[in-house]
Amino acid sequence: MTFPLPEAASSFQKYICIVCGWIYDEELGDPDSGLPPGTRFDDIPDDWSCPLCGVAKADFEPYTPASRPAVPAASVTQGTRSSSMVWDTVIVGAGSAGWSMAERLRTLAPTANIAIVSACEGDIYPKPLLSVALSRDLTDEHIRSKKGEAAARELGISLFAQTYVSGIDPTAKRLRTTQGTLRYKSLVLAYGARPALLPGLPSSLVWRINNLRAWQQLRQRIGQDKKRITVVGAGLVGCELAEDAAHAGHEVTLLYRDDFPLQTLLPEAAARITAEHLRQAGITLLANASVRGVQRQDSGIGLDIASPVGPGDIQADIVIATIGLETDLRLPRAAGLNTDCGIVVNPSTLQTSGPDIYAMGDCISVEGVPCRYIAPLAAQADTIAHEILGLPHSGYRHQPPKIRLKSKVAAFELSGRPCSDLPWETVENAPGRLVMQQRRGSTITARLEV
Amino acid sequence: MLSNMAVSSRLTDDKTLLARVDDIAHGPLAKIVVDIDQKGHYPLEIMRLLGESGALAAHLQTHGENFGLALRAMASVSRECGATGFLMWCHMVCGLYLQAAPDASLSKDLLARHATGQTFGGTALSNPMKALAGIERMALTAVEADGGFLVSGNLPWVSHIAEGQYCGAMARKDGQPGQEVLFLLRFEDASVLHRCPHFSGMEGTSTWGIRLDNHFVPTSDVIAFPAQELVTTIKAPFILLQGGMAAGIVQGCIDSMREAEPQLGHVNRFLEDRPDTMQQELDAFVQRALHLAQTPHRTDKDYLLDVLDLRVLGSELALRASQSALLHQGARGYLSAAAPQRRVREAQFVAIVTPAIKHLRLEIARLMTEELPA
Repeated sequence: MTFPLPEAASSFQKYICIVCGWIYDEELGDPDSGLPPGTRFDDIPDDWSCPLCGVAKADFEPYTPASRPAVPAASVTQGTRSSSMVWDTVIVGAGSAGWSMAERLRTLAPTANIAIVSACEGDIYPKPLLSVALSRDLTDEHIRSKKGEAAARELGISLFAQTYVSGIDPTAKRLRTTQGTLRYKSLVLAYGARPALLPGLPSSLVWRINNLRAWQQLRQRIGQDKKRITVVGAGLVGCELAEDAAHAGHEVTLLYRDDFPLQTLLPEAAARITAEHLRQAGITLLANASVRGVQRQDSGIGLDIASPVGPGDIQADIVIATIGLETDLRLPRAAGLNTDCGIVVNPSTLQTSGPDIYAMGDCISVEGVPCRYIAPLAAQADTIAHEILGLPHSGYRHQPPKIRLKSKVAAFELSGRPCSDLPWETVENAPGRLVMQQRRGSTITARLEV
Repeated sequence: MLSNMAVSSRLTDDKTLLARVDDIAHGPLAKIVVDIDQKGHYPLEIMRLLGESGALAAHLQTHGENFGLALRAMASVSRECGATGFLMWCHMVCGLYLQAAPDASLSKDLLARHATGQTFGGTALSNPMKALAGIERMALTAVEADGGFLVSGNLPWVSHIAEGQYCGAMARKDGQPGQEVLFLLRFEDASVLHRCPHFSGMEGTSTWGIRLDNHFVPTSDVIAFPAQELVTTIKAPFILLQGGMAAGIVQGCIDSMREAEPQLGHVNRFLEDRPDTMQQELDAFVQRALHLAQTPHRTDKDYLLDVLDLRVLGSELALRASQSALLHQGARGYLSAAAPQRRVREAQFVAIVTPAIKHLRLEIARLMTEELPA
């Protein structure tokens, strides 16, 4: 003889009203409407209606609670986001600038309450490596020196990852983010610059490599086979990426508006040498050219090109735009902070026009000029940390960093303050070595070695 | 000179209108606020007066698209009664739909009556706005029929509708994304309207469930098909106008805090979010809202982000101010007819009505995520 097993509670089903979201649980029934606990949905009379919004049984469907959220919640390492909490310092941006700031502040203020807000994971990695990583066959694991979470733990700060900042309220000292509003005593904007966008180069088809996530996805897309890669724009990053891809064995075209690559930075004699070296590295150079449009084709991406020899098409598997960086000014402008091509800061204190708001790194302009290099970050972080803590300091003194092209074939080093209005004079011109300089009166203002 | 005169006469008109709205709010509206909130009194008599004053038309093309004025009028009403402020918003947004209709019977005749408060109608676009943002499924579907569409589906709660009224609604033709139909849904009889459960407040907003089963919508009532482009242009003003509700509620809260000051100032100084602080933040909010209201037709990403962020700020200010106002007034504010406890619920409504804080943050995150090639 066998006994029927009692029905396990877990076999009860749930049904959701697709109109208002009320859930019918067979285990609980709907006693108010005369359905005792355990009433199967199928056994509910057809004239029964949703107790909340009144629609009919037909507007219910089986409901399985999601085992995990459809969109993963952004992670917060340590800390709390109670709205009454006031952070000593909130740093916006977890690139080299943001982390330099956090580290410096932690050293000088061991107990300060610090939060860092990042649109990405906040992982630490040397960004310049992204433009030489293909030919070195690096993976993101190699490039990343530390996970954001781990770095935050070590420094004893709170990291708000995958969190976007939508607004700053300078008078109320509140920062609105997609994970809630943070109150701060001082705020440091270190959110960097973003690749410039052009309508003819839509982000749905054209790559821009400005962070590890973008590089990682590009790397995955390139895969293991030889690809046709077109790089649009021949500034430092464009030249580096083109050379990197060529060394990695890809068929590379470098396309630019000027007569030579790096022409806005280098005198013609030097730019000519660079062009020749890039050509020797196997890169096809397309000077005086611009992209009128791109479109997806069966065989990859088609670029519609305007050049002195007339319009034409090129085919590529991958198109990368390196046409420069710009600061996203929406946030500081909406907050009423002074901006020009970047966030305007006091050149000595790095304070913005907003109370207790500082800015550093790629998002600022110092005396009307942006400076998007790693070298000044340590001094900037040191200055701001001293300012925030009210410690004496001698003031930030902006030093234009040395600019190097990370190149096996076309390396150069540029120092001082190169100025496009001043002529370059040749100091030395030997085979394989060109030295030039600019002068104001008897003072040498810039020096270039190729 | 002529244009200066035009500007100054417009400013005088604006002042006159706002003064009239203030009179309505502090006069007849103030007397019935509790009935609206608790007893379900639907204040169409107030809406009529507001219509006559021109307050329901300020944002329309026929009246110079003065979104700033519309916002200020809505704030003035919401300062007294959040539910009536919400009805104004519903009505104003419906005006935007009618204005966009190709058929003159809607864009001219009905709009003229709607704009002056002779007829009334709201908006059922909460679900479609969320559906287009991928948050929930589109509730209504449409199939083409001779001379129009047959629409089916259910919506749980739609406000400012009743028998003889109407609202803007949206359905997906054959359930296909990209095939949205925006249309005027008329309630010639009450058969499609279903009573909602009792809400904790704002009961006088005439909120009903709608159930449609092959409901015929004539082509003359179709406002846009496909409707995506119109939705893109309406989205920012739709959200921006809600700032008027938030601003009014916050101002009402500050009024309550100040009211308590002579008697309770000596203890209230131990509270957070004091009236002067809130006023400063509210003024900054209003200034920003009025600035954004000058360019209601912008559809670029930066503008939309500014509007979404402003809307979050409005909700947050309302929540903080209403909480603080109740703490300022103490037991007196907790009486069932007291304004502070009512405003707590009004502020919560501002924070949860579409787009709610969570929807706004989702949308902001989506807009700010860097797009990479697939």
